[in-house]
Amino acid sequence: MDLLAALAARRTDEIVVMTMTATLQWPLLSSHPLDFDFLAFGMGHAADFGLGLALARPERKTIVLKGDGGLLMSLGSLATLGRYGPANLLVLLLENRTYEMTGGQDLPPGVDFAGLARAAGVAGGGATGLGKVERIETRQGFEEALPRLLTEDGPHFIVLPVTNSYPLPAVSHTDHARRVRNLRAALAIE
Amino acid sequence: MPGVSATSMVRAIQDLGFTHVVMIPDAETRHLHQLLTAGSGLPVISPAREGEGVAIAAGLWVGGQKPLVVLQNTGLMEAGDAIRGCGVGPRIPLRLVVGWRGYAGAMADRQPIDSAYPYTEPLLQAWDIPYWLLMGDEQLDALAKMDRAAGETSRPAALLFGWAFQP
Repeated sequence: MDLLAALAARRTDEIVVMTMTATLQWPLLSSHPLDFDFLAFGMGHAADFGLGLALARPERKTIVLKGDGGLLMSLGSLATLGRYGPANLLVLLLENRTYEMTGGQDLPPGVDFAGLARAAGVAGGGATGLGKVERIETRQGFEEALPRLLTEDGPHFIVLPVTNSYPLPAVSHTDHARRVRNLRAALAIE
Repeated sequence: MPGVSATSMVRAIQDLGFTHVVMIPDAETRHLHQLLTAGSGLPVISPAREGEGVAIAAGLWVGGQKPLVVLQNTGLMEAGDAIRGCGVGPRIPLRLVVGWRGYAGAMADRQPIDSAYPYTEPLLQAWDIPYWLLMGDEQLDALAKMDRAAGETSRPAALLFGWAFQP
């Protein structure tokens, strides 16, 4: 939550796509027309959706807030990010080592998500050849990195180890079609 | 040889204003993929799996683009949750071109029938995804019909082809 607060304080006109636990926490910090709740749009696919959005809207940054469990559901997407990821895509992987929103089971121990991203060609890759993979361990480190992450060319894949000490609000499944219409309206489409 | 000319298909895709092709090629779409990537001017994105591709296409559309998704029926089955969540549920008009694996064998009554064959149409029907058949160049206008239906209903629509695209 503290990391998300740091992001919310810096965010201006970027699209923010969130899924799973982040969909419960981000709305407590942000109410922005370019926020997009991806919950229940397809398990594990938030960053894939974000990749499409970033390709479609190269003039602004697309930030994806997703979990490590979701990444395990679509690991091949790292290779796709390593090949096609554009300059304006920032994936923030919230690494809590558990499927927090679903069964609560632990992830397989020892999975190195930054290592997986590097091995998939994200570092030095993407469509730009400028892809970056980082693991940022502290809130201070994240706050210091944010101005750079929000402005420099990527794609970026950033692993953020997190623990959650805040109670999670209940899941609210708002109308999915309305979420889509709202984001397109905010992007002045149609 | 039955099947659609890949050249004609690429022209039809261009004429309808598609901006991207998200595609996992198979043996039947090999020639189509080669043509698309060899100077069609359309960006071709080849994801690792079909569910991923459907989500990428959804993001492209929400961002104002007009992607075409080309996948095999087995990939359609793999992508079930993404098609539900990124298409049917939120009313995103995914345009799907689906290779009907097993169709040619079934038409020739070659046993055993590929298990992908009989479930393809019922699966599309279960999602209430309208579909048109594309078995030869004379049916190429089915792409425009599918495109129009997706646009008018803001829901996924599909084209089913049963034969390999021809060079």
